[in-house]
Amino acid sequence: MLKWFIVQQWKEATRSPMWQKNLILNIIIGFFLLLMILYLLALGLFINLILNEVYPEGEHVKIFNGFLLYYFFVDLLMRFLMQGLPKLSIESYLHLPIKKNRIVHYIVGKTMLGVFNFLPLLVLIPVAVKLVASQAGSAAGWSWMIALLALILANNFLATYLKRQLGSKPLVVAVYGLAIIALFVLDHFNLLLLSGLSSAFFGLFIEHPVYLVIPVLWMIVAYQLHFHFLKKRLYPEEIQVKKDRKLDRISDIRYLRSLGIIGSIIALEMKLYWRNKRTRTIIYMLPVFLLYGLFFYSNPEYKNATGFLIFVGIFMSGGMMLNYANYAFGYESGYFDALLTKSINFRKYIRVKYLIAVMISSICFVLTIPYVFLDSKYLFINFVTYLYNIGILSIILLYMATFNKRRMDLTRGAAFNYQGISGLNWLAMLPTFLMPVLIYWPFSANGLPNTGLMFIGILGLIGLVFNRSLVGLITKNFYAHKYKMADGFRQK
Amino acid sequence: MIDIKDLTKVYGRTTVLDIPELHIKKGESFGLVGNNGAGKTTMFRCILDLIRPNAGEVRSKDENVAKNEDWKIYTGSYLDDGFLIDFLTPDEYFRFVADVYGLSEGDIQNFYEDFEEFFNEEITGKKKLIRELSSGNRQKIGIAGALMPKPEILVLDEPFISLDPSTQIRLKNLLRKLKQEQEVTMLISSHDLNHVTEVCERIVVLQEGKIEHDIKTSENTLKELESYFAVDI
Repeated sequence: MLKWFIVQQWKEATRSPMWQKNLILNIIIGFFLLLMILYLLALGLFINLILNEVYPEGEHVKIFNGFLLYYFFVDLLMRFLMQGLPKLSIESYLHLPIKKNRIVHYIVGKTMLGVFNFLPLLVLIPVAVKLVASQAGSAAGWSWMIALLALILANNFLATYLKRQLGSKPLVVAVYGLAIIALFVLDHFNLLLLSGLSSAFFGLFIEHPVYLVIPVLWMIVAYQLHFHFLKKRLYPEEIQVKKDRKLDRISDIRYLRSLGIIGSIIALEMKLYWRNKRTRTIIYMLPVFLLYGLFFYSNPEYKNATGFLIFVGIFMSGGMMLNYANYAFGYESGYFDALLTKSINFRKYIRVKYLIAVMISSICFVLTIPYVFLDSKYLFINFVTYLYNIGILSIILLYMATFNKRRMDLTRGAAFNYQGISGLNWLAMLPTFLMPVLIYWPFSANGLPNTGLMFIGILGLIGLVFNRSLVGLITKNFYAHKYKMADGFRQK
Repeated sequence: MIDIKDLTKVYGRTTVLDIPELHIKKGESFGLVGNNGAGKTTMFRCILDLIRPNAGEVRSKDENVAKNEDWKIYTGSYLDDGFLIDFLTPDEYFRFVADVYGLSEGDIQNFYEDFEEFFNEEITGKKKLIRELSSGNRQKIGIAGALMPKPEILVLDEPFISLDPSTQIRLKNLLRKLKQEQEVTMLISSHDLNHVTEVCERIVVLQEGKIEHDIKTSENTLKELESYFAVDI
C-alpha cells in the first residue's frame, strides 16, 4: 500500500502542469536551492573559523548551543508560516479498504521529508563532528546530534499540528514573533539569559547522553498529537484548516462607493486580496519587506556600498508592489471572461490598477521612513528608489503583466507556491532592477554619488509626469493580448 | 441583431467552427444544440469577443464586436463559472454588476423583487461566498447576473445544467416572459432537447463546427431532433 501512496504522489507531482510547463522556473528555483545549500554547508564547514573570528575567546560549543533555543523558536514560527500542510487527496482513498491508521501515518510521516528538516542538517552535522565530537568525544557528538534531530522533527510535527489547530491566525503569530524578539532584546541587555539556559540545556546531551530521552519523548508526543488530531478528523471537510467564518465589511466602505466604478474596482481588489489564501499570505509578508533593510542598513560594512543599497531601497518600497502589479491580471484569471464581457473602460481600469500599485508603494515608503534614525542618507536612497518604483517600475510591471497568461490558483498559500508564475516574467524583470544601478554607477565612479541618486529619482518623476500616456500604452498592449490572456486563464 | 459572416476558428489542424452565414433577428429566441465538441461554446465565445476567430466576423447591431465595444452595454451573458467572481457573496456580486452597468438603487431593488422567486431564498442575504455554494446555486447567480442590466441580447451556455427541477421550470417561464414582454434576443445552447425546444422558436444543430440544420420550432421539432441525434449514433 505504501508503495502505491508513494507512486501516486510522485505521479501527482511530476504530472502537474506546473512541473511540465515550467522548466525555466524549475531551473531558477533549483539554482537558488543549490545556492542556499552551498551557503549552509559553508557555514557548517567553516564554523570553527567563523566562531574564532567573532568570539576569539570563550568555549565555542557553549556559544553555539546558546543560539540553539532561539533557532528552535524561530524555526517553529517559520514552519508555521511557510510549511504547507501535507496534502494527500484523501477522498480518493477513504472509500477503499485501507485502514485509517495507515493513511494517517502516511500523511504525518510524509512531512518528515520537508526541506525544513534537511537544510539545518547541513550545518548541524559538520558542527557535531568538528566542534562537539572533537571536543567531547564521538559518543557526545552522536548524543548531541540525535537530540537536535529529535527536536527538529518535533518542531515539524508540532508546527503542522498547530497550523491545523489554529488555522492562520495573524494575531497569535504576531504575539509569538514579538515574544521572541522581546526575549532576544532582554538577552542582549543581560536581563534574562535565555542563551545561558539554551547553552546549559544543550550541554546536557553532551555531558550526559541519558538526557536524550527528553527530546526523543517530546518528538513522540508531538507525533502522537498530530496523529490523533488527524485520525479523529479524517473527513475531507474537517481536515482542512479552520477558517474564520466572519465576513469582512470592505464592501461597506462608504468612501469607496462614492467613487463610482473606480471605487467599486478598488473594493473588488481589496476583497480579492483579503479573501483568498494566496494573496492573504502575501499581505502577511509585508513586515519581511519592510525589515529587509534592517539587515543591511544596520551593518556598517554596507554603509558605503550605495550601489547595493539601491537594490535594498527598491525592494523595500517595491516588493509588495511587485507582487501586486506583476500578477495584476493573473490574480483575476478566475473571472477574466466576466470582465471582458462587461462594459468596463479598460483604460480606466488599468489606471486604477496603476494607482493601487502607487498606493502600495507609497505606504511601504512611509513605513520605512524610520530608517532615517540610522542615517539620513538611507532616507534619501529610499526616497529616490521610491520615486523610481512608482514612476517606472510600476509601469513596467503592469506592462509585463499583460504578457502573463497563466491561470492562478488563489486558494493555496503563497509561500513556496510557484503555480501560475512564469519564469520568463522573472527574467524580464531583471533589467528593471538593474537600471537604477546602471544610472548610478557612472556618476559615482566620477565622484558624484548624490547626483547619481538624484537622477534615479528624476527618472521616476518623468515616469510620473507621463503616467497617463504610459497607461495608455499598457491598455493598447492589453487589447492586443486579451484573447491570449483569456485563453490561458481558462486552462485549469 | 446578430450577423455572422464567414466565421471560422481553427485549433491546430481541426476546424472547430465554420459558419458561412447566420443571421439572428431582434427578439428571436435562438437555440443551439449539438454534441460535445460541436463548437457551441466556441461560437458563443466568438459572439462575445472572447476568442479571436481565424477569419470572418460577428456583427452586433451592425458593429463588429471585435472592433467596437458598444455591444457590451446591451448584452448579458453567462457561459460558465469564469463569469462569476467566486470570492464575493452573491449580494456583493450583484452590487458589482450594478456598479459596472451604472444601475441605480431602485434598479437593484426591482431586480431583487423580480428574482425573488427564482432565488428561492437560497441566494440573497447570505454570508456565504459564491465559491462555497453548490453548482446549481452558482448557475442561478450567473444567469441572474446576466439578466440584471436588462439586456437586449442574452447569451446563455447550458443554462439548465445542474438546476433543480423547480428552478428549470422557473427559468423556462422567465425566458418566455422576457421574450414576450421585452423582446429580448436570446441565444441559448443546451444538451437537453426538451428544454430548448420549449423555449426557442428556432433551433440550429451544430456538428463539427458546421450548421447541420436550421429549423423553425414546431410540434414535430423534438421528434426530428431526437431522430437526428439517434441516427448519428
